Amino acid sequence: MRGSRVLRTLLAAALIGPALTASAAAGEWPHWRGPDQNGISSESGLISAWSKDGQNLIWSAPFTGRSTPVVIDGRVCANGRVGEGIMRQEVVACFDAGDGRKLWEHRFTPYLTTVPWNRVGWANLTADPDTGYIYAQGVGGTFICFDKNGKVVWQKSLVEEYGFFSGYGGRTQTPLIDEERLIVTFVSASWGDWSAPRHRLFAFDKRSGEHLWTSTPGAFPADMNSQSTPVAAVVDDRRILVQGNGDGWIYAVDARTGEKIWGFHLSKRAINSTVAIADGVVYAGHSEENVDEGQMGRVVAFDIRGSGDITRSNEKWRRSITAGFSSPLVRNGRVYIVDNSANLHCLDAETGQDVWELNIGRVGKGSPTWADGKIFVTEVNGLFHIVEPGQQEARSLDVEELSVPEGRYAEIYGSPAIAYGRIYFTTEGGIYCLGDKSKPFSASRSSRTAWPSQAAAPSGAKAAKLLAVPAEVRLKAGESAEFRVLAFDEKGRALGQRNATWRLDGLEGTIDGQGRLQPQAKTQFGLVTAEADGITASARVRVYADLPLSEDFESVEPGQRPGYMHGALARFQVADLEGNKVLAKGRSPRSIHRHNTFMGPADWSGYTIQGDMLATRTRRRVPDMGLINSGYIMDVMGVHQRIELRSWSSELRMAKVVPFAWQADVWYTLKMRVDIEGDKAIIRGKVWPRSQQEPQEWTITAEDPLPIRQGSPGLYGYSPTTIYYDNIKVVRNR
Amino acid sequence: MSKKTTILSLLAAVMLSAPAVGFQTPDGDAMYGGTPSRNMVSRETGLPAKWDLESGKNVKWIQPLGSQSYGGPVAGGEYIFVGTNNEGKRNPKLVGDRGVVMVFRASDGEFLWQAIHDKLPDGKVHDWPLQGVCSGPYVSLEKERIYYVSNRAELICADIDGFRDGKNDGPYTDEKDTGMQAEDIIWKLDMINELDVFPHNLAAGNPMIVGDLVFTVTGNGVDEGHINVPSPLAPSFIAVNKHTGELVWEDASPGANILHGSWSNPAYGVVNGQPQVYFPGGDGWLYAFEPKTGKLIWKFDCNPKDSKWILGGSGTRNNLISTPVFYDNKVYIGVGQDPEHGEGPGNFWVIDATKTGDVTDTAKVWHRGGEDFNRTISTAAIHDGLLYIADLSGFLYCLDVKTGQHYWTHDVFAAVWGSPFVADGKVYLGDEDGDVVVLAAGKEKKVLAEMHLGSAIYTTPIAKDGVLYIASRTTLFALEEGAQRGKADPSSN
Repeated sequence: MRGSRVLRTLLAAALIGPALTASAAAGEWPHWRGPDQNGISSESGLISAWSKDGQNLIWSAPFTGRSTPVVIDGRVCANGRVGEGIMRQEVVACFDAGDGRKLWEHRFTPYLTTVPWNRVGWANLTADPDTGYIYAQGVGGTFICFDKNGKVVWQKSLVEEYGFFSGYGGRTQTPLIDEERLIVTFVSASWGDWSAPRHRLFAFDKRSGEHLWTSTPGAFPADMNSQSTPVAAVVDDRRILVQGNGDGWIYAVDARTGEKIWGFHLSKRAINSTVAIADGVVYAGHSEENVDEGQMGRVVAFDIRGSGDITRSNEKWRRSITAGFSSPLVRNGRVYIVDNSANLHCLDAETGQDVWELNIGRVGKGSPTWADGKIFVTEVNGLFHIVEPGQQEARSLDVEELSVPEGRYAEIYGSPAIAYGRIYFTTEGGIYCLGDKSKPFSASRSSRTAWPSQAAAPSGAKAAKLLAVPAEVRLKAGESAEFRVLAFDEKGRALGQRNATWRLDGLEGTIDGQGRLQPQAKTQFGLVTAEADGITASARVRVYADLPLSEDFESVEPGQRPGYMHGALARFQVADLEGNKVLAKGRSPRSIHRHNTFMGPADWSGYTIQGDMLATRTRRRVPDMGLINSGYIMDVMGVHQRIELRSWSSELRMAKVVPFAWQADVWYTLKMRVDIEGDKAIIRGKVWPRSQQEPQEWTITAEDPLPIRQGSPGLYGYSPTTIYYDNIKVVRNR
Repeated sequence: MSKKTTILSLLAAVMLSAPAVGFQTPDGDAMYGGTPSRNMVSRETGLPAKWDLESGKNVKWIQPLGSQSYGGPVAGGEYIFVGTNNEGKRNPKLVGDRGVVMVFRASDGEFLWQAIHDKLPDGKVHDWPLQGVCSGPYVSLEKERIYYVSNRAELICADIDGFRDGKNDGPYTDEKDTGMQAEDIIWKLDMINELDVFPHNLAAGNPMIVGDLVFTVTGNGVDEGHINVPSPLAPSFIAVNKHTGELVWEDASPGANILHGSWSNPAYGVVNGQPQVYFPGGDGWLYAFEPKTGKLIWKFDCNPKDSKWILGGSGTRNNLISTPVFYDNKVYIGVGQDPEHGEGPGNFWVIDATKTGDVTDTAKVWHRGGEDFNRTISTAAIHDGLLYIADLSGFLYCLDVKTGQHYWTHDVFAAVWGSPFVADGKVYLGDEDGDVVVLAAGKEKKVLAEMHLGSAIYTTPIAKDGVLYIASRTTLFALEEGAQRGKADPSSN
């Protein structure tokens, strides 16, 4: 503990106007950092103290979460986790903001992920004030758009469709609604130009989910799981998104097209903190190694205007503060940020100099929220603080310690949301609503400011960027698709749809002058490319022939892969094994040895997959090898000498294990079948030496009362030594 | 070398427990905890209770480290060793992420040489970025060797003086850099590629030597899915010939039951004439072996049988990351978890070391837990009938060593990773806020001073020759009563 916090004289505060973006209804909280993405609420008459025993506690409800709620249309909604044992799931729940009645909840199951249970539900929801839609990015890569009543409008499997990386760290990005677009970011590695792992931004139509653009501003991510929500701003008539990337840079991309504008290199590791933007200045923090000196952590302010690498040119000030998770709050010439050790710093926004500092606990993850002259801020070990930020010092108005029913502190990772004169937040032990009980509750929406649009493109503006939309499609054999071309000027201002000439790159089939694609009915991947105004734009196409699928790798050159396989491609390569072509997965040259690769679309179901596999041994090392069917893995484990059926490697929810003695350097045949029977999935597997007859009986069977109803077939391997795969067959269940 | 005579005349690190018979650690050898008993107590005197970095009062010297430092400091011979990362860029030709052991001259702080190791290509799985070498060397004066575990999970024996002696000592002679500031490796044992160890995130043992054997925990652990132990047949504990690097015995008892990783350290004691080496397992069991053979003497489950391994604060089952302390025929250890898993309920055990077999139900002397003790990764200090132990939640407890009776608690209001260090009638403790609190040792709680060191402290203070050494995440401080350092060196903060 620092015995006496140093209070320093502050410089004259610069008057800070509203942030450059304003989107939704004041009085509501459609985004985790509030309507203006700056952590500031215009609500007044908020409480200054409360007690979990009742004072100013309007309601609390059972809920386990580590996210910040959204509050819209009289509802408070949050992402969390629910269930015990085999029923463990992620959940999106909406409560009546007035009385805490649960209005609806939607449970969904993480699968093909190594996220541990207690980190499920980490991304915050986001809501669209126009439609009332609520968007959830699950830790396992399930992305859902709900209407206000909880009905699923559309849903995506980010893993199988986009190569979403879901790792143990569990940090999951919060989506953003920007104008008509939904912005989703994650580390992905899929196919073609997007094979390399990068932290990408994806823009979808917020109503239909249609894929508009993908932006790859950065390099190989230093961390696969990070958390920095893009923040929208308008700079010199151009709408931009400012995002902390997994490669340690902060990037600005054009909000309409995804085109990269500038980068600021802040950290040697991923950025986990969401930036704040005020008066043309970006405020950002991180807690890992700085790129230009041997210290950890920094809070910086830099000018938002520029292009290219602005690291050296744009910095206004820097402070050695280790704040890697809390988003800065900037108001009236002050920056408020919580460091990793839970000290709330108040800095002068112009100079970065200390104004005051207040210790609020031991572990800082949440971000401060401003309303009614007070700062509301959480600490991980169950503390909820209300602070009066003075000109020269802070005054603690109230500290409450939240607990779980067993009495232990309740973890708090989320931040407060403020709406309707009330404060909402989630903890490990409940969702809370604080406010003055004597005041009438009104969830009527305040007048909503429109999306601030920059000036329209001047007449005669030239196209500088085209988008071919949809940016990527997946088709079944025989299906066609229709593309259109949208043009934008140099500032990303829409110029409307363009007529274009179209061609196919690597696809067999036809495309006409209106962008109507009729691919040949076979499994193939490629591009459709449009040209207009002397500029080109491409969209990506995958076509899958219907089952059965059979692959013996004989037609593939060694070192290559079948073109339709996707995910972790570099880790699976065809090899020549004494004249027989096989797929090999060797020891990884870097990073982990465990990978999945997929062979079909995400919506296949009701099939059986079979393949031959051979493991090699080195000393005590023997690989684990297996099949993937509909989100389930059959893992034939070498060192442990057993077979495991599972869907979620870090939470063996429905897993079954049987001992199985097997040897390296012998070919085995593995077979795996998934059936949906009533409300359950039945997963069956068998393994036998390839030289022998297939046994009648299944070797292992598991039941899942929370069935994963569809998913791509694939291959699995953990390869500290090499695994070989051959003769893969996928057939419809009879 | 002439330095030996001076070294041996010092009482820097004398075993405070009963010395072993015929199988013991030479006086003057240095290691984490000072002696193989690992008791965080020193007989040093005249240590400063206060210092002032701004004015330089009681500050002897200050040296920058990397950006993260978790290994050491250890003071052996005329050297101070710190495990850190390569952000200090001491060798401008070798920049980028690496694991480093920096070596300084104790008398004036001059940087002498450093061990520098490339990162493993496996990344976070085995060699977490930027965390450097998380091992404090064992310093052996007999042949002037140091022993530590590199970020690459190699047990390394190196020349105490690097190449400054002008010789490339072997058998290992393949060093690329044989310059004056480079490391002279004597031998190394690659625990991943020779023993199939799967270190979880990073191997981090502080080795210990007794007789001719060097003991260390290997770091074996779970994979990135955090349930499966991919290499359960690989050892958690090893004993290696200190002269040759040859494996003498190995033990894989924790095997597939490892909960997370194995990041603790062995300790040693002699119980009624019987030498015992204590290995804390990644399964939460404490194992006592015959040092020469690896034969199990006893084992004790440090988790209550009804405890549950749950990630996050609700988990009641824990790892052993703390180091056991041997004192008065008993072993003292607390349970905890990777701090990233958060704070939570812990247990502190005092175990009677005179029994054999599974002694979980029979050897408990006293215990502290429930609401009275949180997860810890700290090591105990036992002195004058009092036991000092800190937990991750930032509480320092003073307890009666025989009964566990509580005398006082001090809250530092920040996470504590390091251990209380007792010397010269004082208790020193650093915390994650970068503060060091100095209290009077004794049954009455008395805070003598609190000083801020500029960045987080994840290590334990040490003392040698009247000088107190504290490594913050970024800086090594030598603090001495009466010293006066020049003012305001910008590198100091």
